[in-house]
Amino acid sequence: MEQKLRSEARALLEQGKVDYIFGYEPGSLKFTTTPLLTRDKNDVDRLVVNPFIVNNLAKFLTELKGRVGIVVKGCDSRSLVSLIQDNKVARGNVVILGVPCEGLIDLSKVEKLVGRERDELDDILREGDKVFVTVDGKKREFPIADVAFDKCLACELPTPKEYDILLGAPTSPIGQKDAGYTAIDNLKGKIPQERWEFWKKEFSRCIRCYACRNVCPACFCQRCFVEETEPKWVEPTANWQDNLLFQVVRNIHVAGRCSDCGECERACPVKIPLRALTREMYDIVGELFDFKTGMDKNEPSLMTHYEKEEAEGLIR
Amino acid sequence: MEQKSEWDPQIVGFLCKWCSYAGADLAGTSRKKYPPNVRVIKVPCSGRVDPLFVLKGLRMGFDGVLVSGCHPGDCHYQTGNYRARRKMAITKKFLEYMGVEPERIQASWVSASEGDKFAATVADVTDNLKKTGPNRLFEDRRENNGTEASK
Repeated sequence: MEQKLRSEARALLEQGKVDYIFGYEPGSLKFTTTPLLTRDKNDVDRLVVNPFIVNNLAKFLTELKGRVGIVVKGCDSRSLVSLIQDNKVARGNVVILGVPCEGLIDLSKVEKLVGRERDELDDILREGDKVFVTVDGKKREFPIADVAFDKCLACELPTPKEYDILLGAPTSPIGQKDAGYTAIDNLKGKIPQERWEFWKKEFSRCIRCYACRNVCPACFCQRCFVEETEPKWVEPTANWQDNLLFQVVRNIHVAGRCSDCGECERACPVKIPLRALTREMYDIVGELFDFKTGMDKNEPSLMTHYEKEEAEGLIR
Repeated sequence: MEQKSEWDPQIVGFLCKWCSYAGADLAGTSRKKYPPNVRVIKVPCSGRVDPLFVLKGLRMGFDGVLVSGCHPGDCHYQTGNYRARRKMAITKKFLEYMGVEPERIQASWVSASEGDKFAATVADVTDNLKKTGPNRLFEDRRENNGTEASK
């Protein structure tokens, strides 16, 4: 897959079909990758595809001018389609290099299973639905379901639906739907006050670094309501009330554009389970309006469309 | 000093200029009696109501938020209330999941000729909120705050 990506990327640059190639290269730390944006065809040999390509690159498209050849996974492709629906990105300006995703490996899960820091691991190898972790010269085997990100366990569309070049054979979901839902199910069993108390506790940890917003491909407002001062919607200091308000309103604002890619949760430095919010919003939107994010670039986006009769039961 | 006043719900109402605000006006001019618990903010269209307003209302301590606009199909701007419906529906569902009592977020369709309906809606919402109780969602409950200590 990597070889195909490199040759395709080189061809795109050489033929002048794109101005940039946007993909992943190895990061400075073990088992990490970092986004690679280049116009130089000699750089394409640094491109990689492995189970650690976590970033959702669709985020940066709104800031790039010119034609871009972009590497996307299933979830990223849906963010990208949603940006196309909102006219934030022109379809003609992107060449989509689709990666059929087999699920990404969550290093913190590996660390927990092995009981070692990531620096102490010698190698992590993915073969089919098994993952081999080499530590102290010993090879240990884990099923992918144990080490993949929660979002990947619940993923519905690992293969991009919208692409120009698909870099491999389509993959099927890991299909452990329940795993990603545990937190939500636990919450739903509780009474409203307990749920509120839960979120109150979670958001009292929030330091309002806005990493969740900055990493979110659906958050493309030039100016976010949290930074407005006239009127001032939220206090700039981190108190749980405004932290919670910010996150709730952010989730409502990105409803129908959030593809549940889980980047907010991954970026969160204090580990607030934000996917319990995004996933629920994804379900609410699906249930009320039969809408799924980023399925078809020719469909209107959620908030630009309406049906004559819908959701009437909620309004008196 | 002991201050004992009975709690009465406070509601912030976002009423669309073309229908609901006129409906509320009609309720007034035709001398309909309805609870004085609602504070009205006139908006150009119910589609203008950002879910942020709802949250901010609750954050400021209002016990309930009422968003009201024209009946579906009657929007002065053709589609504003349909958009409001989508937004309010997800806001209501989502906040319910977060743990906000669903009674606190209300949406209604009131036309300019429905003074009665406006009065009835406010009465009903107020009634429900009285049962739900005061909004303590964003309150910091500390055992030894100033008022406690001064007693």
